[in-house]
Amino acid sequence: MRVRIGLEIHVQLSNAGTKLFCDCDSEYRGFPPNSNVCPVCLGLPGALPVPGRRPVVLALATALSMKCKIPERLVFTRKHYFYPDLPKNYQITQFEKAGGAPVCLEGELEYLDTDSWEWRSVGISRINLEEDPGRTYYEGDILRSRYAYVDYNRSGVPLLEIVTKPEIPSPRQARMLVEYLLLLLEYIGAVNPRLEGVFRVDANISVEGGERVEVKNIGSTLDLEKALKFEAKRQTAIVERGGRVERETRHWDSARGMTKPLRLKEEEADYLYFPDPDLPPVEVGKDLLSEAIGILKTTPRSLFERISSMGIRSEIAWSIVSTPPASKRFLEAEKMVSDKRLLGRMIGVDLKGELKEQGRDLHKDSAWPPAERIAELVKLVERGEYTYDTIKGLVLPKLASNPLSPIQPLLPEKVDDVKALVDEVLKRESKAVRDYLSGRGKALNYLVGQVVRAAKGKAIDPRKAREELLNKLRELEARG
Amino acid sequence: MMRQPTVHELLEAFRHGDTDPVENAHRVIENIARREGKINAYISLEDFDSVLEKAEDSRRRWMRGAARKLEGIIIGVKDNISTSFLPTTAGSRILDGYVPPFDATVVERLQKEGAIIIGKTNLDEFAMGSTGEFSAFGPTRNPWDEERVPGGSSSGSGACLAYGGCNAALGSDTGGSVRLPAAYTATVGLKPTYGLVSRYGLIPYGNSLEQISPMGLSSLDVALILQVMSGYDPLDATSLNVNPDVVPEGPADPESIRLCIPGSLVGMSDEPVKKSFYSLIDRLTGEGASVDTVEIEGVEKALPTYYTIAVAEAASNLARFEGTLYPSRGDYSGDYWRFISKSRGEGFGIEVKRRILMGVYVLSEGYRDEYYLAATKVRRIVRDELARITKKCFIATPASPVLPPKLGEALGDPLKLYAMDAYTVLANLSGLPALVVPSGFSSNLPTGVQFIGGKLTERSLLSLGMLVEELTGIRGAYAGG
Repeated sequence: MRVRIGLEIHVQLSNAGTKLFCDCDSEYRGFPPNSNVCPVCLGLPGALPVPGRRPVVLALATALSMKCKIPERLVFTRKHYFYPDLPKNYQITQFEKAGGAPVCLEGELEYLDTDSWEWRSVGISRINLEEDPGRTYYEGDILRSRYAYVDYNRSGVPLLEIVTKPEIPSPRQARMLVEYLLLLLEYIGAVNPRLEGVFRVDANISVEGGERVEVKNIGSTLDLEKALKFEAKRQTAIVERGGRVERETRHWDSARGMTKPLRLKEEEADYLYFPDPDLPPVEVGKDLLSEAIGILKTTPRSLFERISSMGIRSEIAWSIVSTPPASKRFLEAEKMVSDKRLLGRMIGVDLKGELKEQGRDLHKDSAWPPAERIAELVKLVERGEYTYDTIKGLVLPKLASNPLSPIQPLLPEKVDDVKALVDEVLKRESKAVRDYLSGRGKALNYLVGQVVRAAKGKAIDPRKAREELLNKLRELEARG
Repeated sequence: MMRQPTVHELLEAFRHGDTDPVENAHRVIENIARREGKINAYISLEDFDSVLEKAEDSRRRWMRGAARKLEGIIIGVKDNISTSFLPTTAGSRILDGYVPPFDATVVERLQKEGAIIIGKTNLDEFAMGSTGEFSAFGPTRNPWDEERVPGGSSSGSGACLAYGGCNAALGSDTGGSVRLPAAYTATVGLKPTYGLVSRYGLIPYGNSLEQISPMGLSSLDVALILQVMSGYDPLDATSLNVNPDVVPEGPADPESIRLCIPGSLVGMSDEPVKKSFYSLIDRLTGEGASVDTVEIEGVEKALPTYYTIAVAEAASNLARFEGTLYPSRGDYSGDYWRFISKSRGEGFGIEVKRRILMGVYVLSEGYRDEYYLAATKVRRIVRDELARITKKCFIATPASPVLPPKLGEALGDPLKLYAMDAYTVLANLSGLPALVVPSGFSSNLPTGVQFIGGKLTERSLLSLGMLVEELTGIRGAYAGG
């Protein structure tokens, strides 16, 4: 049955440096409670918001990347509701229906479908730049806790609210879209997508013949796909039974893997929107725009296309692009080697796999060896000094566990006399020799294996071993 | 008329050693001790010993030639302007006991130039009122006639100046809140061009309308204070990136003065006010000033427009006071909604509640277009109209259509109360500077004249003020008593 999905994605600009309207830290995690605060983000009377340049530039860059209509001036509005962790009891946002001018109206987000390797696009209705509220904590659960503990460290963190049109065709596409979006925001230096709670998604989903259902509280891309699949199935079942899907808001219970109706029916709230008189419109001038364009030089799409154009398979190219430290290594090392495919395989498959195997954080730059070291390994293979398998099997594990080590000490000793080894094996394996000579070609593979084994961990090129074996065997054959 | 020294006179006297800051401080403290019990101009006062110590420091600085621009001048600061060293209540029970962790930009600037802040002056709660009677800390009385109000909302600032409880004062002006008290206490008040003075630290009432505003015993005093407190502040996004010289060289040349009088608007004033106003205008024309009559388009809608915008912004600004971050009367146990209802119900006074309700109403879905949006449109018309007129003349009106009312007289009728702002709100709606100087006395009650100028014309407005003072002889008026 046909599904239509729309997303409302809230992403914190965790890497903006400052909060939206003051100089406190945009990355609030790890501070003791209420220590990343100032009169402005506590909303103390008389303290005034002043828009920070970096959050505005990052929001503009995001809008530009989605080919948005960007207004000449951004206008902030106040949205009022009472909540203990909202210190002013209004949130500064950009509601366009009450005189606000959001950073984007009408845009288009392109994302990579990593099942078919095709680019797809979804319409964007708008993007708002707004402030995050603080957080409320409870002892145990909300009903039993004696106190509500309020922490304002998060209050004022810049938040993008990205709203797509309801035209995403499947839960899996929804997931791939959000994954691409987060990667894009990571590449422009706006977000660290792996921080806890850095984004949350509200999704609306409808099946043919049913009303739209909103699912709230989705905190990961995996959960997004799961929640939407659950909902699609639930709604389809209702329609097939001949029932009606009512318009409602449901809550995603990640632990139980199901959506549940919200017990409280949401009131039709009146937010008393109006333009914030403390914030004159922000002129989107040439300097702001050119700064935003500068940030957009590298996008996952431009990188993916560049790497693919070197003849590298999509899976491997995406594996590199989706891990920014890997793509950084690739772009540097690429200039030093001629076999780009080999480099792609080493970085995107085997080194990445080895790092993962060893439990390293793939997104931490220091987990990766410098690009020159990786290039050095590729060049060893290019010159035929070592086989790729030797590097993969014997060198990459050591380099992964000690990324700053020079290459030389990691290289296995090479067998200097292949002939001697071959002679030794031929002497010992008389049965296999006879088999080969009597026409069983397969015995050659066995003999090659024995030569490699006889190398006892020293590097040996199996092709050379095979060549030498063949020479000797031909001699034996000729002798009869 | 009894006189007291102006800031300008004090600075001259300090410079020549005729008197010194300690002597000045003693005089001010004596006046406070004598009058404060009855007048109630201050909500909190600095410890007098520490005031005298600071005055002694200033005295030494004058002695060794290291005096700063306002060295030893004693200033009263309206209690909606944040100070980290004295509580800041905004005249409300809901903020009783709140001490801000920061100083307003203007406070910092004044102190840096040697001014001594002696206390926080009384006001209508959150600056909402025209008489000073809506303070949670009791009304302020007018030192010229203790049965009457000193005007509001900067009631304490006007009153302490008049009785000599400070040398100069800061008020805030959202719709006339320094100009009404100036008119009612025979002092001078200037509402600067919007954005000339930083609002950082001013507890907001109507953000798009208000400015922290200087009050003094003369136009020159006001200029000297404004010079120090004005100028660009990166902490206020609405602050203008200018730093003009606002101190006039002397009184304006009367022949260069062009005045425009909105005749029908002035016609609404009570008889004694009109009489005092036109007799001053006659004296100005006698000296060579030219006078025209003008009609201002949309002027009859200015007052409702002003109140619509002010209450909308106020309802929003005051949402934060629900007891979580501020001293609270609520009981934390139980329901959040009951807790904030109790905090706000007990913390706010009647006029504040009235304006919050009106503000919520004009911003509500279904009414926003009809009220709030309509008001912003009329505001643009009024602003353009006033900008056009003030390009060619100063607009002259009485400061207030009525003489200072008796305590309690205006309280019962909010509409009558709001009508007191009919002349002053024009400057707030348009963002233009407006000066009120004494125009005379009518049966021993002060009256004031208002001049509205073009954007950033503070210097010429103040020189016009100096000219008026020459004609009336009212400068440094002292309500002895």
